[in-house]
Amino acid sequence: MTAPTRGYAGELIRGDGWRGRAFTGLTVAVIAPGREAAVIVPELVRTARAVKVFQEEPDWLLPLPLPLPGRLARPAARIGLRLAVRDPWTRRRLTPDPRFNRHRPRVDGRYYAALQEPHCTLISWPVYALVTGGVRSAEGVEHHVDCIVLGESAARREDLCA
Amino acid sequence: MTGTTTPAPTRTTFDFDQMLQTVKDKQWSLADIDWDAPGAETMTDELRAKMRPFMADLVWIEHIGARGFASLAKKAPTPTIKRIYEYFHAEEQKHANAELALMKRWGMLDEDGSTPEPNINVKLAIKVLDDYGDSLPLTGLATLIPLLECALDGALVKFLLEEVTDPVCHEVFRHINSDEARHITVDFQVLELIGAGPLHKLIIESIALLQPQVIIGLIVVFTPLINKMRDNIVAMGLPEQKLYNAVKRFATIGSRGAHTARIPAYHVLKAQAAMVVDRTSPYHRLLADPMVKLTSFVPAKVLGRPQAWVDELTHEPVAS
Repeated sequence: MTAPTRGYAGELIRGDGWRGRAFTGLTVAVIAPGREAAVIVPELVRTARAVKVFQEEPDWLLPLPLPLPGRLARPAARIGLRLAVRDPWTRRRLTPDPRFNRHRPRVDGRYYAALQEPHCTLISWPVYALVTGGVRSAEGVEHHVDCIVLGESAARREDLCA
Repeated sequence: MTGTTTPAPTRTTFDFDQMLQTVKDKQWSLADIDWDAPGAETMTDELRAKMRPFMADLVWIEHIGARGFASLAKKAPTPTIKRIYEYFHAEEQKHANAELALMKRWGMLDEDGSTPEPNINVKLAIKVLDDYGDSLPLTGLATLIPLLECALDGALVKFLLEEVTDPVCHEVFRHINSDEARHITVDFQVLELIGAGPLHKLIIESIALLQPQVIIGLIVVFTPLINKMRDNIVAMGLPEQKLYNAVKRFATIGSRGAHTARIPAYHVLKAQAAMVVDRTSPYHRLLADPMVKLTSFVPAKVLGRPQAWVDELTHEPVAS
């Protein structure tokens, strides 16, 4: 956790460091799976100039804490997603793989709305390195940002935090 | 799940985990390349006019490949292969982006740097992949993608490198070819894996492929796509034989595998590939060439709004 990140010159925020902070005028990258990004992104979107969400994998989200039996939680989450996101390609990128995703749906009603703010971008390309200016993802583009918020799993990735 | 139903002796031995690590290690970025390096002047006005439609086609074919891998990721048999496909999806996008950046370097883009319009056959392919790609059984898509990659990618890139002397172009394509070699390897190893699976599964999936939209898609979309590309190549004054050699690679690599031959879809596409490379086959006279002509009458409007993933193309190496 304390190891320096390979060359990233901006501020790197791990754990809960983003809570209660104002990111006024800053471009912020978030590298996290959907379940973590759902907590982080709606907060950042309120103050940051631009937010780039590098979503490592999507997770199911329930808009409300519904008292549903386990078997109905995922279909309900699917309906929630369908109602919240109009664009089919965005929806596809927010839909977890039913075969490999084992996480229970999390209750969050703000993530999908935050992602669709004009200054927020959902990026689902794999992130493979952090460089001086920002984040490099596998579609070949270097995304320059003022600070990077790492989710729990991203903070443990040796290739990012070598 | 499949681990218990697949007979152990037919398992293939390819190490997909190792491949995923290699893919991660070999990542490159548009920012690694000096797009203003000398050499752009080797693109003469004559060559520029000739290459512009060709480059535009190439960008779009990479983009179709990208969408194909996105669908494959939804069907991948294991999480590791799924991750590899997600990387390949991004890499195809990277190739399209890099080719757009080359077009920009050579002054082939409009003032506003907008992406060139795809031809109608490409538009049809995008539409069909978008509508049906995710619902195709793995055997169908996993067989089609390597054919497209061998035929279109392989052949077109060879032409390009013979025509253009710009060192930056050659540098870019060293990266792209190294990526493509891994794509082809994984494509055929996945075919091996599928082919080694239980016979009843292969048969059921093959029957599931006999849906009208799949067959119509093959005839209306992919048949004219290949022939249209051949027409463009011939129009540029290049020998079509090279395209055919690239198509032949599909059968050559496929025949090396021990289990690939058990996949019915592979035989269907191999037969089609054999007809494509045989210029005297009635396939061209009666099906493919008329299809190119017919599809040229399809108004782009019937295809509806362009898909949102098309907007993700960019020639900018750095986004802020």
